[in-house]
Amino acid sequence: MRHVLRVLALMLLALVVVPAVPAGATPDDRPVVRVGTEGTYPPFSFHDSDNNDLTGFDIEVIKAVAEEAGWKLEFVETTFDAIFAALDAGRIDVIANQVTDNPERQARYGLSDTYTYSRGVIVVKAGTTGITTLADLKGKTTAQSLTTNYAKLATEAGAKVEGVEGFAQAAALVVQGRVDALINDNLAALDYLNTTGSDSIEIAGNAGDEVSEQKLAFRKDDAALLKQANDALAALKADGTLAKISEKYFKIDVTVANTGEADLSGGRAPRSDAEIVQDAAWPMFKKLLIATIPITIISFALGLVLAVAAALANISGSRILSGLARAYISIIRGTPLLVQLFIVFYGLPEIGIDLPSWPAAILALSLNVGGYAAEIVRSAILSVPKGQFEAASTIGMGYWQSLRRIVFPQAARTAVPPLSNTLISLLKDTSLLSVVLVTELFREAQNAASAAQTFFPLYLTAGVYYWVVCALLAAGQGRIETRLNRFVAR
Amino acid sequence: MTDSTAPLVDVRRIEKTFGDNHVLRGIDFQADAGTTTVLIGPSGSGKTTILRSLNVLETPDSGVIRIGEVEVDFAGLPTKGKDAREPVSRLRAQSGMVFQSHHLFPHKTVLENVIEGPVQVQKRPREEAVADARQLLDQVGLAEKADQHPFQLSGGQQQRVGIARALALKPKVVLFDEPTSALDPELVGEVLSVIKDLATEGWTTVIVTHEIRFAEQVADQVLFLDGGVVVERGTSAQVIGDPSEDRTRQFLHRILNPG
Repeated sequence: MRHVLRVLALMLLALVVVPAVPAGATPDDRPVVRVGTEGTYPPFSFHDSDNNDLTGFDIEVIKAVAEEAGWKLEFVETTFDAIFAALDAGRIDVIANQVTDNPERQARYGLSDTYTYSRGVIVVKAGTTGITTLADLKGKTTAQSLTTNYAKLATEAGAKVEGVEGFAQAAALVVQGRVDALINDNLAALDYLNTTGSDSIEIAGNAGDEVSEQKLAFRKDDAALLKQANDALAALKADGTLAKISEKYFKIDVTVANTGEADLSGGRAPRSDAEIVQDAAWPMFKKLLIATIPITIISFALGLVLAVAAALANISGSRILSGLARAYISIIRGTPLLVQLFIVFYGLPEIGIDLPSWPAAILALSLNVGGYAAEIVRSAILSVPKGQFEAASTIGMGYWQSLRRIVFPQAARTAVPPLSNTLISLLKDTSLLSVVLVTELFREAQNAASAAQTFFPLYLTAGVYYWVVCALLAAGQGRIETRLNRFVAR
Repeated sequence: MTDSTAPLVDVRRIEKTFGDNHVLRGIDFQADAGTTTVLIGPSGSGKTTILRSLNVLETPDSGVIRIGEVEVDFAGLPTKGKDAREPVSRLRAQSGMVFQSHHLFPHKTVLENVIEGPVQVQKRPREEAVADARQLLDQVGLAEKADQHPFQLSGGQQQRVGIARALALKPKVVLFDEPTSALDPELVGEVLSVIKDLATEGWTTVIVTHEIRFAEQVADQVLFLDGGVVVERGTSAQVIGDPSEDRTRQFLHRILNPG
């Protein structure tokens, strides 16, 4: 028992320590600037389907800025709805993800000079009539990422807003007729039309007359970085670098106001569903092996230790211990895992506990598993007849020895089927980890889906991967059960 | 303070209450080495509680229990911590316990059940413990069952393994808590005969039982308990053959003439 604990502690420690030591560190005194970006918002921030590298207009702009300003970049990918929380929590230093200027953001963040001028457009299902202006959206439903400027526009126009995770999802809702429209950047809409070759949605009109301006967002107190960024942007504008990047993606220079209609036809070629799945299958499988499965195993092992501790505390007879255990179990079972992940990753830094992604993910999942499994372990221990404890005492065993050699092996028989359920749920729960910036199987599917602007075939592929692993786990459960049942009269 | 003529087991002024229920009201008795003591009495009389107190499966509220060299005064015993556990485990190590429903470890083989205490607790070399265990299993007539699991045995065989498990610890006293009460009638004989053999081999035993005829044959002393006190004590000829107390007579009459 003690041995197992020590190994687990070392494993956790290794996770915390290893990422802090850069592999093959070379002397480099450039300041590290962490860039928050979606990675799922083509053509601005997405993964190239050929080599899976993060690329896009915003990515190239921030790289050019970094070169000019002498920064070393680290990219952190997260959903847009978590991106400002990450900036607030100090997990990233700048957002390069088409952050549209508005007064609220001006008040709260340090916004750079403009590097994209674009228009918001209203996108509807092809053939829809009666929606061409913002005023037409009153009483209609639109699909938006909730923390975007476009969600705000839609709300102000009197539309009901359904929250989504990105453009591709919003577009699918429009195509399926589940929402009436979406508002987004005209460049993003054009990219979608070009990449999918779809004619089932169309741009119905402009979302207001104003041109929107997109900027890099820093923390308000980070004035030095902001100044370096603005100097760099000015220099890049002057020497034509920004224009060149823009023309590569849009055929026009969107980094200055009013230069005409963008043309994205030279962008990524449309691919068939089969090609899309084929391109993404291996990167997704890799993430299954190096992220989803290891995180599941480690979290389950640590969670079991917590569960045993909580179960023993609960039945200890000490009012304090059992009260603590019951409070822990109640909190874990009474709150959504998503909330727990946010608290561990975005909440703890507020009190000075700043865990990197993997340890935060493992901590949150372990606590979650521990809370659920504690009751399983408790009832399994109580299912062992009291006489077994007495017999163990009688031959001279102490508390721990009795538990380890006599009680746990028998309790396992009762505990294995429900614990297998917990393990299988845990495996699938790892699909939530993109909110704490862990790129696991599902996040990889999201990346591929947004680059392709279609997610159904890729989510189906992810589903197949999860199902296969769960089927293997269920088979393993059957074998363990057979093993544990062999000493029981049938 | 103990000399060779002192009794092996010395129980003095044991008191125990469960909530409002005063189950032991000052129990005293002694047992010499090599003797068989039988406790009889109606259910609720406290006979099982006093037996379990000898192995400290119940902790008396007060009183003194001495087995061999180890003496514990329960009135002065702390309720928690090492100072409480240490004397209890030393006293417990002086006796071996055979339960009414055997409580064998179902996930271990017969042999593993018997060597568990010697190897895991007493830290004796495994080979030596195995050799001893095989001899004990032979003694209780189960040598060929060593590698089976408890569920493969009959109730009588399970109980005999329970006896071997208790003996394997080489205790000074072997305690039996109604060892045949959970058995089908046709299996009672094989277990009683093993216990009888122990008595003739010189083991010191304390037995709680309802088998009055058996008690009559093996007991060096019989204690009749009722209401948490020892009502009558003496040889089996005295207590069972010619009881002097009304309560003893009534109990024996009831138990020997059921229905």
